[in-house]
Amino acid sequence: MRVMLSWGLPAGVVAGCVGYLIYTASGGSAEYYVTVSQLRANAPAGDVRVAGVVQNDVQKSDGGLHITFTEKDGTASMPVEYTGTVPDIFKPGITVVAEGRLGSDGVFHARTLLAKCPSRFSTQPYTQ
Amino acid sequence: MPVALLDAALHAVILGYLGAGALLAGLVMGGFSALLSFWSGWRENETLVRVGRRAFYAAAAMTVLAGVILEAALLTHDFSLAYVAEHTDLSTPIALVAAGFYGGQEGSLLYWTLVLALLGSASLVASARLGARLAAYAAGVLAAILAFFLFVLAVVASPFDLLSITPPDGLGLNPVLRDGGMLIHPPVVLAGFASFAIPFSFACAALLAGRADSAWIMHTRRFALLAWSLQSMGLLLGMWWAYHVLGWGGYWGWDPVENVALMPWLATTAYLHSSQVQEQRGRLRAWNFGLVITAFLLVVFGTFIVRSGVVPSVHTFAVSAIGPWFLGFLAACMIFSAALLAFRSGAIAVAKEAAPPLSREGAFVLQNLLLIGLVAVVMWGTILPLVSGLAGAERVVGAPYYERAAAPLFAVILGLLAVGPLLPWRQAGGPTLRALRWPAVAAAAVLVVTLVAGERSIGALVAIPLAAGAAATVLTIFARAARKPQVLVRRRRRYGAYLAHLGLVVVVVGIAASHFWQQEKDVTLAPGQQVSVAGYTLTYIGSDQRQLADHTEFGAVMRFGDQTLEPSRATYAGLGGQALTHVAITTTPVADVYVVLAQANEDGSASFRVFVNPLVTWIWAGGAIIILGVVLGNVGQRIPVPELARRRQTVTLPA
Repeated sequence: MRVMLSWGLPAGVVAGCVGYLIYTASGGSAEYYVTVSQLRANAPAGDVRVAGVVQNDVQKSDGGLHITFTEKDGTASMPVEYTGTVPDIFKPGITVVAEGRLGSDGVFHARTLLAKCPSRFSTQPYTQ
Repeated sequence: MPVALLDAALHAVILGYLGAGALLAGLVMGGFSALLSFWSGWRENETLVRVGRRAFYAAAAMTVLAGVILEAALLTHDFSLAYVAEHTDLSTPIALVAAGFYGGQEGSLLYWTLVLALLGSASLVASARLGARLAAYAAGVLAAILAFFLFVLAVVASPFDLLSITPPDGLGLNPVLRDGGMLIHPPVVLAGFASFAIPFSFACAALLAGRADSAWIMHTRRFALLAWSLQSMGLLLGMWWAYHVLGWGGYWGWDPVENVALMPWLATTAYLHSSQVQEQRGRLRAWNFGLVITAFLLVVFGTFIVRSGVVPSVHTFAVSAIGPWFLGFLAACMIFSAALLAFRSGAIAVAKEAAPPLSREGAFVLQNLLLIGLVAVVMWGTILPLVSGLAGAERVVGAPYYERAAAPLFAVILGLLAVGPLLPWRQAGGPTLRALRWPAVAAAAVLVVTLVAGERSIGALVAIPLAAGAAATVLTIFARAARKPQVLVRRRRRYGAYLAHLGLVVVVVGIAASHFWQQEKDVTLAPGQQVSVAGYTLTYIGSDQRQLADHTEFGAVMRFGDQTLEPSRATYAGLGGQALTHVAITTTPVADVYVVLAQANEDGSASFRVFVNPLVTWIWAGGAIIILGVVLGNVGQRIPVPELARRRQTVTLPA
């Protein structure tokens, strides 16, 4: 019984603290991960991450540090605006995840832009 | 048909079928070894136990053969094998062709299996001294795991699949991966994962055999240390690679793929410490079983996450048919080990008086609980997209979540790093508290200096002084030992561990400094213009364009003091215009100046992102100190003979 007690008390305290940390941290910083159509249908408050395919209208300005392009999934599309260095593999046709929020002007202001890394190792499957 | 063509075709057929045959033979031997080992262990038939063990060696030999065949096919550019054609080409440098072995899904699985087979064999060689039953069950669990991997390799994802038409050239490696880091990071990570199967197997065997003593811990100590060292190196090499190649100025992004490598490391770290408590004081028996099992389940979970693509990650891995198989394997391992623990741990827990909270044991227990708490934090962040996706809207967390939830736990662990080593076993008294004065003085002094220097962020004000305290603790211990130098040799395992502590402190300082004090600036410069970041001034000289075999390279030249920095950007036409950044990094005593070329413009100007990253080199140096500590403390150490040394203490429970 004393073994249980000596273990239970610190374990309970640590578990409580960890639970509290997880709860407050994820409550404050969890973002919705949506597609362009979902964002168009119902934009959640706060920052979101939107996955979609980069269309063939990438415009760079300010020495390549400011870009605009259209991000599209199956049915819906939206203009995206971003300032900063773009990922190496960024180009029309790849899937990107833009993190930011949809402005009242209808433009998505991205804070970060993540490109899906090429599959760790293979380029593309060999088509026979 | 010309003879040469016939030869080539025959060669291909032989390599492909020989490899597949080796895998199948290995699978049969592995399955046989598992069944025979469990049965003979149950019957305590020593002859059959030996046979079961030899069947494991045979399966291992077949795995080695398959590995040799795949490597031979890669080095001879045998493009009739789909795996060779998809991951290498004729222009790839030979070292990277050889690295193609673990560069793809199937090959990396074969590499995993190979490490498991070799280390598993090594762990079984001297296992007879543990007693027939424990040795047999350990061979059985290892063989079952090996057979699972060989099954996946032989049936689901074979590296020996043949193409119907042999292409003249292969596809080659993605340029992001054509890098020296590619040669070393994946094999170290995978070996670190695979080697933890050995402590897991012996822990399960001890539970199955009803052995509550510490023989399994001593027998697998080296494998646990090897697994931990490889996992540590793997994490640091991954960070190093990301920092030098990916060009975003950082080294850790809390991506699911990084997280699943971190979690087993945290659990293994906890185990290395709690197994000390069992060896020294005979406590925490059930907890150790639980930890080893948790660490291995985290390895399998990580493999599943990485290979199945079920959570959104920046790394999209080739999503393949092996995902469901690994999920099944994970479920089987969880049910098996949960049942084992449920039926056996009650009998194994040895009732002892509660440890006083202010003691070495108390510090170890708290450190373990906090590490497991960290695993819970990272796990929740990693699986949140899955959990929330099932409940409706998919949600993700980024770096802010991990920083908020994990930082307090890391801070307390850092505090324990400063206090724990100076606490005696059993009970701390007055002399101990006096011993803690040097770490306290060091922490207070550094806190004052940091405050005077104008730092106001809570994180830095907690992390840096605590790191100083932890360093002072290690130095105190070494100063004490220096009075009796022979102690350093006699107890070198312990002093090696303290050296590793010091290495960890150096890593922590590097991470804290580069996290809290990183500066960055985006800038477009005409030739001759200067930019200043954090007091470092760079002058842009000009840029040029070079046309190389398979890519175009834009290079910029910058002057930094008397050094020249050449960040560049390559574009690969063959890969649909994919770009590849070459970061220019120069290291000064206190910071890295890290320059990324964003774009070279028509008018001769160029755009850059410049980072100043303080003390990043400390992270790599600290990693080297950690490994040095492990090596100095353990290599060449006499292997203890658990059965003979501990025979009288052996507690055998009814099986």
